Amino acid sequence: MTFFRLVKAGAVLIVLLILQLELFASIRFFGVMPEIMLGVAVASGWHGGPTDGAIMGFASGFLVDLYLASPMGLSALTYALIGYLLGIISELIAEDVERIVRTVISLVGIVLGLVTFVLFGELIAEPNLYNKNFGKILVVGGLYTGLFIPLLHFLMEWVFHQGNYRNNQIAMTRVQRN
Amino acid sequence: MAVPQRSSGSRFTLAILLLTSVTLISLDARGYEPLANLRKATTAIIEPFRNIASTIFDPIADAWESLSEGDTLEKENALLREQLSELLEYRVTTEGAVEELAALRTQLDLENLGGQETIVAEITARSVSNFDPYMIEIGKGTQNGIREGMAVVSVGGLIGRIEDPGLRSSRVRLITDPNVNVGVLAVGTNEIGILSGGGVGQPLKVSDGIPVSTDVEIGSIMVTSGSERSPYPGGFAVGTILEIIVDEINLEKELVVAPTGQLENLEFVTVVLYQPVTSDSGGG
Repeated sequence: MTFFRLVKAGAVLIVLLILQLELFASIRFFGVMPEIMLGVAVASGWHGGPTDGAIMGFASGFLVDLYLASPMGLSALTYALIGYLLGIISELIAEDVERIVRTVISLVGIVLGLVTFVLFGELIAEPNLYNKNFGKILVVGGLYTGLFIPLLHFLMEWVFHQGNYRNNQIAMTRVQRN
Repeated sequence: MAVPQRSSGSRFTLAILLLTSVTLISLDARGYEPLANLRKATTAIIEPFRNIASTIFDPIADAWESLSEGDTLEKENALLREQLSELLEYRVTTEGAVEELAALRTQLDLENLGGQETIVAEITARSVSNFDPYMIEIGKGTQNGIREGMAVVSVGGLIGRIEDPGLRSSRVRLITDPNVNVGVLAVGTNEIGILSGGGVGQPLKVSDGIPVSTDVEIGSIMVTSGSERSPYPGGFAVGTILEIIVDEINLEKELVVAPTGQLENLEFVTVVLYQPVTSDSGGG
């Protein structure tokens, strides 16, 4: 990850974290808030590939961990895995895949992330993450986060690809001049 | 379909990240001080940005709350009216109970609530997780004298305890959390039971420590025991007994308790700046 990408990624992460804490934590459907930071891990895996997906997932999970009572590192662990997994999936799928397919895969990624978070929590450290609201959190949380998937993909595209696109444009212009 | 070759670099990165995460979890579970300091420092850096965002987004959140909870508020209003009429009828009896409570406090040598130093704090955030609804955040921290484990009360009684106090903000763990234990006794008795949360919207439970022979009644007030190892001063109202279940095997009474402290629609809470003499108390 180049320095410029790092700065863009950091800025996006901080802005989304603040939105998650100050806006979306209050705007709940059926008592459930969207998992924006998990969405970041999913979208960054898609656009950045396994390595950058895992790094961005770890970073977004770590930021979330700062504000949760669950052990620090639990979200980072889960989100890093999900970022990596989505990175692998994106490599297996054609780049020009339909947006609907991308959205569905992202939704599955989010649900998988929620399940993994609770599973790791129960196994490793936090015995009370699984409760009777779990089903509701999966369904409502998944769909609610799904609403922001296009925006998150847009942001991650900006973080990971805009530089490449610009460079390609510059290179193409040079070729045309010559 | 041709499967692209993944470099070992991405696997190595993932392995390092997973190892780091597991190390963090392990250190956090052991209460590693530098990690707690890192958490406090990072949240302190982000805090000003959160404050700005809060100013911008609070009106939106309030509007959403009033929209989405319109029905709930109407139902709550009707329920409150009903409860008010019941309470007015019950007033004569409770007047006697208040006098009884004051007398018992003196008798049991419980500290006077009015004598405790307190600080009022605004609630700055509700739970920021879907999986932990038992946490709220307040806008006062260690620089205001708040310390880990201090009791937090609202109108009606105890609602939680301080957890992870930062410099300018603290978290409050609500007593509805099944992991929270509070040593309580029913007014008029000496038997200390362990009260624990029952989850969101569920009553509290006292499942240990009240022998069958103890004379408790439905409607009795449960107060904090103020015992030597308790982090809470004695005499704080915690709840009223809704149901008494006799456990004939263990010869104990299990009490179902409705919290007296207001837990919903809170804007401010009071932190009791009380620290027990022994700091190694677990919860009771």
